[in-house]
Amino acid sequence: MNKENLELNVAIFFCQQLDPDQDSNRRVIEKELGPGIKFFPLPCSGRIEPLHFLHAFESGADLVYLITCPVKSCRYQQGNVRAGKRIAFAQNLIREIGLDPERLILINIDPPLPKRIDLLTRELLEGAPVKGHSLLSRL
Amino acid sequence: MITAERKPLDEIIAMILPFKKVLVVGCASCVGECAAGGEKEVGLLGSALRMDARMTTKELETREMTLERQCVYEFIDRLTGLIDQYDAVLSLACGAGVQAVAEVFPNIPILPALNTSFLGQTKEAGLWLENCRGCGDCRLHLFADICPVTRCAKQIFNGPCGGSQDGKCEVNPETPCAWHLIVTRLEDRNQLDLLEEVYAPADWSKKEGAGPRKIVREDQQN
Repeated sequence: MNKENLELNVAIFFCQQLDPDQDSNRRVIEKELGPGIKFFPLPCSGRIEPLHFLHAFESGADLVYLITCPVKSCRYQQGNVRAGKRIAFAQNLIREIGLDPERLILINIDPPLPKRIDLLTRELLEGAPVKGHSLLSRL
Repeated sequence: MITAERKPLDEIIAMILPFKKVLVVGCASCVGECAAGGEKEVGLLGSALRMDARMTTKELETREMTLERQCVYEFIDRLTGLIDQYDAVLSLACGAGVQAVAEVFPNIPILPALNTSFLGQTKEAGLWLENCRGCGDCRLHLFADICPVTRCAKQIFNGPCGGSQDGKCEVNPETPCAWHLIVTRLEDRNQLDLLEEVYAPADWSKKEGAGPRKIVREDQQN
């Protein structure tokens, strides 16, 4: 796993429909990576609000992910579409503040479901853009 | 309802620059409905301002609250006892709300975080359309409840102008022609005879030229 990314504070919002065993699977990686990683399971990614992202950054997250079901696979039809629009809204707002909007990342995972959230997280951190700590988390 | 949009963040940041303690106050009525000044937007703005202050090493303390209405004294009164603890209020209300709060607390700067836009309706989630100019001379009953003053680009009372195509306005092809809508609806209601009348221009003296308007209802007064 990318060493630099292991030191970052990462918040991961995800649709819990992705992984029926998310509760135990995410604990595996939480244990491994410690307080630097925080998971926020959502009943559907469409429940996300831009305020959740802002609070994550305000609390010191360097990277914030939102992981949604594959395109056209949302059990509530439009949840992941709405999530994408809210990400775009939040990115504009954090750009206005002067934070790099690329620290907020939308992941529409590929089919098939289910996926294991711990394995997904490893993949994400492996391929994460090396951004270093954000100005906010350094303060 | 009254619609509004948030000002650009840098404009808001410049406004609050002289103040260290800012109370961010939303309004849950009209501007809450149009997603500009409700509880969520107050949270977003408060968070954004705190992050900006941290990144630019400015001292800023904020508290967030949302009133049911910022234009009615009974709701504004919730600020009593709290507002004195702050250097300024950042109001996410329409212009009427900002001024109403300022009138109750004249010694504290009330800063407008929104640009008030228009009187409109929620057409669908995330879409608000202007449909009333508040002209003070409503004649909707003559025009199938579609306002030609607001919804016709040419504001004509004796339309249609003849320029619309496929029911769309020639000035802005994205906008439905108000007169197309009026005629269609009057036809459905069997009221086309209403258009045989020639209507006089709107009496704008009821809206403008005499300063701010007011409504007095003695039966509603104490």
